[in-house]
Amino acid sequence: MKRFTLAVALALAVAGCSSSGAPKTADAAPPLVMHAIDSGTFQENFNPFHLEGVNFGTTGMIYETLEYFNKLKPGEIKPWLALGHEWSNEGKTLTFTLRQGVKWTDGKPFTADDVAFTFTTMTRHPELNKGALEISGTKVLAPDKVRIDFRTTSYAKLFNISGNTGIVPKHLFEKENPVTFTNPKPVGTGPYKLSKFSAQLYEMTKNSAYWQPGKPVVPTIRFPAYTANAVQTGLQQGEIDWAGAFVPDIDKIYVQGKPEVNKYYFPPEGVVSLLPNLTHPVLSKPEVRQAISLAIDRDKIVKVAERGYTKVAHPTSIPMPGGEAFLPPEYKDASFQVDVEKAKELLKGVDPAQLTFTLLVPSPFTDWVNAAQLIREDLAKVGITVETRGVAFQDWVSKVGKGDFELSIRATPAGASPYFQMRSLLFSELAKPVGTAATGNYQRWKDETTDKLINDYAATENLAEQQRATQELGRIMVEKLPVLPLFYSPAWAQFRTNKYVGWPSEQDPYAMPSPYTSPDAAVVLLNLRPAGT
Amino acid sequence: MRFLTRRLGFYLLTAWAAVTLNFLIPRMMPGDPVDLLVARLKGNVDPAAIEAMKRAFGISDAGLWTQYVDYLGNLFRGELGRSITFFPTEVSTVVADSLPWTIGLVGVATLISYVVGTSLGVLMAWKRGTWLDGVLPAATFLHAVPYFWVALVLVFVFGSTLQWFPGSRAYGLEVTPGFTWEFVASVGYHATLPAVTIVLASMADRILGMRNVMVTTLGEDYVVMAEAKGLTSRRVMWAYAARNAILPNITSFALSLGFVVGGSVLTEIVFSYPGIGSMLLKGVENEDFPLMQGIFLVISLAVLVANLLADLAYVILDPRTRQ
Repeated sequence: MKRFTLAVALALAVAGCSSSGAPKTADAAPPLVMHAIDSGTFQENFNPFHLEGVNFGTTGMIYETLEYFNKLKPGEIKPWLALGHEWSNEGKTLTFTLRQGVKWTDGKPFTADDVAFTFTTMTRHPELNKGALEISGTKVLAPDKVRIDFRTTSYAKLFNISGNTGIVPKHLFEKENPVTFTNPKPVGTGPYKLSKFSAQLYEMTKNSAYWQPGKPVVPTIRFPAYTANAVQTGLQQGEIDWAGAFVPDIDKIYVQGKPEVNKYYFPPEGVVSLLPNLTHPVLSKPEVRQAISLAIDRDKIVKVAERGYTKVAHPTSIPMPGGEAFLPPEYKDASFQVDVEKAKELLKGVDPAQLTFTLLVPSPFTDWVNAAQLIREDLAKVGITVETRGVAFQDWVSKVGKGDFELSIRATPAGASPYFQMRSLLFSELAKPVGTAATGNYQRWKDETTDKLINDYAATENLAEQQRATQELGRIMVEKLPVLPLFYSPAWAQFRTNKYVGWPSEQDPYAMPSPYTSPDAAVVLLNLRPAGT
Repeated sequence: MRFLTRRLGFYLLTAWAAVTLNFLIPRMMPGDPVDLLVARLKGNVDPAAIEAMKRAFGISDAGLWTQYVDYLGNLFRGELGRSITFFPTEVSTVVADSLPWTIGLVGVATLISYVVGTSLGVLMAWKRGTWLDGVLPAATFLHAVPYFWVALVLVFVFGSTLQWFPGSRAYGLEVTPGFTWEFVASVGYHATLPAVTIVLASMADRILGMRNVMVTTLGEDYVVMAEAKGLTSRRVMWAYAARNAILPNITSFALSLGFVVGGSVLTEIVFSYPGIGSMLLKGVENEDFPLMQGIFLVISLAVLVANLLADLAYVILDPRTRQ
């Protein structure tokens, strides 16, 4: 048997040599099979203004943004369709200088008119304004210069403006109603063009006139429709080259003993925390939250409930590595420690009969359900009784939103810089009265210092000042425990290196590796090169 | 004629009740589609934009009564609205795209199951005491296990382990939909396992039903008479016994036709088949009211029409019901 495999391996090696000896042409490069979002079938929609229903790859691969924000290195902004931006008028006016020589795939030049049109469309149709931009007007200053005016200071919205808005061609979109237009034949500036569409598969081929010379190298990307079940089989049988799926037993199902080829990388894209409802008389006491935090063994949760796919969160909740500059200096090396004795000590002044809470978790999230069980066991050690309660996902979203819970677990997306996460966790404007659905700050944290810091950040474009405000917020997180960070929510990314190499890694985190993150996925594609080069 | 008008009146009332329930049930679910969307999109949308998006999806905070009147009005004009999950695709398009897959798969499978099951039932009643009796416990077993269990076993054995048949999708990725031999073959190949699932799981009903009625019929005097006359046993079996025994089975067939549209949700989910069941799952997961309403409507109307057909068939076949 052994000899036989050796012979096969030899034969393959010989075959490999002879084929690599042949001259390589760009067209001979193999297609890349991607799985971004679980879906049984696709609808023919490539309108980048839409949120759902739009097929993945529309923003990034076909329509491009003005700038690129690397979420794994907060503060790193790269010029893209715009060469640069300039704020004026106290953050109420933003001027972009645009790249010249860029063309739409129908041959028409890309100009400031297109940018102005894209942002004007959002003011005309507020339902397309997914970044909640308060635009008061746009003005074309020159073919390569465009100005956008805002009603309020909008420094903190830069990512929504230039990093998350795909620019559309005016000459095609002005003829349509952008709210209901499905754009079946998209014309963009991006590295790819839509070449084939059916309900089970769509395909993009490279834009040979792309403005980045020599790119992209991958000639064709295929997007087959996989449901959440089918994607596991697809990964196991090697049908998919790049996926962003949760795989229960990744070593067995996906890696299959070939860690050099079947790679994965799960960087943090947010933080999962234990939310204590601060309107609860007992949970509003800082010493109780402190005790809970000291009692929880987060290492065990990560190892057992999260299968080691992620890491314990930094006590400030700021995603690490990457967020170093946003950490308060004295807490740089801080980490969570279990201290049952100290926790008991802190709880001495509280009536033990009051230390009974319900922990609400969405039952489809089995990892969180397991984490909740571990938390229940840990808290029992310090005399806190926790009853875990699993509910349907919809029910959980609704209950947490309305503040109808005692303890719950929830993930908060990191966004383009730690500020977004902090704002969403702590800004008192987001905390609605109990009974009204909130869009953040579900535990209802209300603190003037916090609000001031969040407003300070939004009032400046100076990175150092923004970092200082975030550091202060981190300090509040560590010292006052408005929420109890548990672990980072991982971004899922599985990729194979047998066809292409150059994927993001912990050593070179140039973009979010998940195929479902846009425009990052396009940035990854532009960095790929054939295997063996 | 009076019978017919009375039945029609009854069906109109049932249709109204079904339509009203379709409206109410999705709204009794906790939560809100847009909040769910925001929870799912992981920060890709600013929470401050939620209000505007609710408007885009046509979600109103208006009272339930106003919404109900609007809903009935739209329904009357044949408008099902736009899906939230597949925005801005219209619900009618989503339904029209997925319905043929379900009808094709489940319809053919139901037909096969009916023909094979009924014939087996007839044979088993006729040849009591032979090896055919061994089918009975097997059929009872299949009758007891749920559809999705059969589906999972088939996927595991023939899809994953042996890899004889594909375990997901409606056709191969390499073929383009169209009226080509390649496409049709691919559809057939991909439909094999799901169809076998449905046939296996639903056939037991037919076998048992047909066999039991047939056994009773075989004891009737006119069957004995036919045999005494010296007719061939084939003629006695099919033309005398089976023909009379099949009445209840025809009704149950008409009824099961109604469930063709909505009855195989789990099978479709296991096989990732792009039919109405998969769409319904998607709609429920996302609290997509318009989509759920649309699919429920199609399912309930299908059941009603099938019931009506069963009624009519009975009227034709059994004169006693005409009173």
